[in-house]
Amino acid sequence: MAQIIATVIFLVMFLLIISEKLERHIVTLLSGLLTLVLVFGVCMHSMSAVINTLNFKEIGTLTFWYQAGEAAETSSGINWATIIFIAGMMIMVEGMGNAGFFRWLCMRLAKAVHYKTVPIFITFMIMSSILAMFIDSITVILFLAAVTVELAQLLKFNPVPMILSEIFCANLGGAATMCGDPPNIIIGTSLGYSFGDFISNTGLIVICALVLTVVYFFLVFHKQLRSDGTVDTSAFPDPKTAIRDKKSFTISCIIFALAVVLLVTHAQTGLTVATIGLGIAILTLITSGKEAVDLLKKVDYKTLLFFVGLFVVVGGLEQTGVLEVIAGLIAKVSGGNIKLMIAIIIWGSAIASAFVDNIPFAATMIPVIKSLAVAQGVDLSTLAWALSMGTDIGGSATPIGASANVVGTAVAAKHGHPIGWGKYCKEVAPATIMVVLFSMLFIFVRYL
Amino acid sequence: MEKQLIISVGREFGSGGHEIAETLAKHYGLNLYDKNLLQEIANEKSVAVKDLEKYDEVPRNLFMTRTVKGYSNSMEENLANMQFDYLRKKAEAGESFVVVGRCSEDVLKKYPGMISIFVLGDWESKVDRVVRIYGMSRDEAENFMIRQDKNYHNYYCKGKWGDSRNYDVSINSSKLGEEATAEMLIDYIDKRQNKH
Repeated sequence: MAQIIATVIFLVMFLLIISEKLERHIVTLLSGLLTLVLVFGVCMHSMSAVINTLNFKEIGTLTFWYQAGEAAETSSGINWATIIFIAGMMIMVEGMGNAGFFRWLCMRLAKAVHYKTVPIFITFMIMSSILAMFIDSITVILFLAAVTVELAQLLKFNPVPMILSEIFCANLGGAATMCGDPPNIIIGTSLGYSFGDFISNTGLIVICALVLTVVYFFLVFHKQLRSDGTVDTSAFPDPKTAIRDKKSFTISCIIFALAVVLLVTHAQTGLTVATIGLGIAILTLITSGKEAVDLLKKVDYKTLLFFVGLFVVVGGLEQTGVLEVIAGLIAKVSGGNIKLMIAIIIWGSAIASAFVDNIPFAATMIPVIKSLAVAQGVDLSTLAWALSMGTDIGGSATPIGASANVVGTAVAAKHGHPIGWGKYCKEVAPATIMVVLFSMLFIFVRYL
Repeated sequence: MEKQLIISVGREFGSGGHEIAETLAKHYGLNLYDKNLLQEIANEKSVAVKDLEKYDEVPRNLFMTRTVKGYSNSMEENLANMQFDYLRKKAEAGESFVVVGRCSEDVLKKYPGMISIFVLGDWESKVDRVVRIYGMSRDEAENFMIRQDKNYHNYYCKGKWGDSRNYDVSINSSKLGEEATAEMLIDYIDKRQNKH
């Protein structure tokens, strides 16, 4: 009974998120509440399930903030490390945006390549990937797409091919690191992997795939990128005009560099992502003086609450054993064949993420792969990399698969450039299939 | 300064509401905003108007689009909002005009100079009119009429489309014909203008 109710709550939650009738954080919080009351309370009469899922005790432990040596897998339930880290990065990114960092960077790069369309196209793709390794892809695309539209108007080219390539590269870049994409943060903190683990596994796949991607998009789009006639670039806005205040710009650059260093070295320093997120947030707030209150107000609390509710609902599926049933199903279908198991995970995650939010999907799949690893004797990390690549890259396939796609196509639409499913999928879905296929083969060759 | 007059004309497809709006615009010497708003927006954004046409007055497809942080990737929704913003800008600038559809009775309701009209018609007369004007068969005309308007309006506005409580005047154009209906509306508008 508990299993049925937990599954129904999960499915209804998913449908309500898709329908957008209610804001998604309200949907997950209500679903979370129902899970606590109906599943844990009424059906299971288990206070310990409630306590385990709410997971407050985790925050009070030393290992939550500092982990000398190998990081351990965390317990199920609300993944507070993910929430604190994302909140911290949101504050840092707001500070950077306020200082004009992103706009400056885009304009500076465009100027560096003398406003030539094809070099802008290639450098923006690479920049999109690199920025998305450390910053959420929504922010990356928000700034990049806005500057792309502006440049397209000045240079008289069609911005759509460039925006589509930037979206794909932002999702690709996000897959490279532990902090690049929410599924990776959840996978990393839940399974105890470090930044280094990600960069040396998914990161390597992403770097190779990025080369393929740049070549692919160049071949597909180079004819559409021709600028109409010659343009006098001397009247273009100076990148320096993007910087609102030199002092805060310098500070935000230093904080960003510090965040990157701390993240890259966190396995060595023992600082957890929660500590880094909190530290970076405090540093940003202290250095932003009077604007600190504004920065705090701009934090996207709705997304944080969305995560809280989501983790509770997934906790319900986990505690009732539903996810073990799914794991058993995958094991049965694959008949113990590891290659088939990985193919199911990577393609299953990719296809699901193409249509539904990849965050709930990844959160749901983590206990599934844990259970598979134990039952089938497969290396958990191999399954984790397959899950990461599947969810992160699969989301690129459709205009609704990942947040970056929605924001990028929305910016284009706001400026009068419609990007429908047909146009989007025709250009981007083949790249998605190519990279997922490449990732699968890479995993087969390297780990099996 | 002359008093602002904004005439919002909602209509059932085939009711002749658009022609009535044209008559009103001509009578009062006002600009008429309808599909031509798209051209204005296309010029503003430096894009081709034909790329926007198919998204005009169409509701958002909930399963094919998403909203993230207030950014919707539905072109229909973005185009609707661009038109609403355009109308608000015109109204804010004090311009008097006639507007057909585009949720204008809801979007512009805060302007005291706005008079909202809804033109409806008998089913048979509407079908006859659509068959006559668009050269369709009766079946095609009926199917076409069912698909129009309602969903678009009700997605973007609080008030329901065609609900007489949301309009100053709701009138069945089949009873008097387009011309006499327009004359009656002119009489009403004049009285409203003189009242304040």
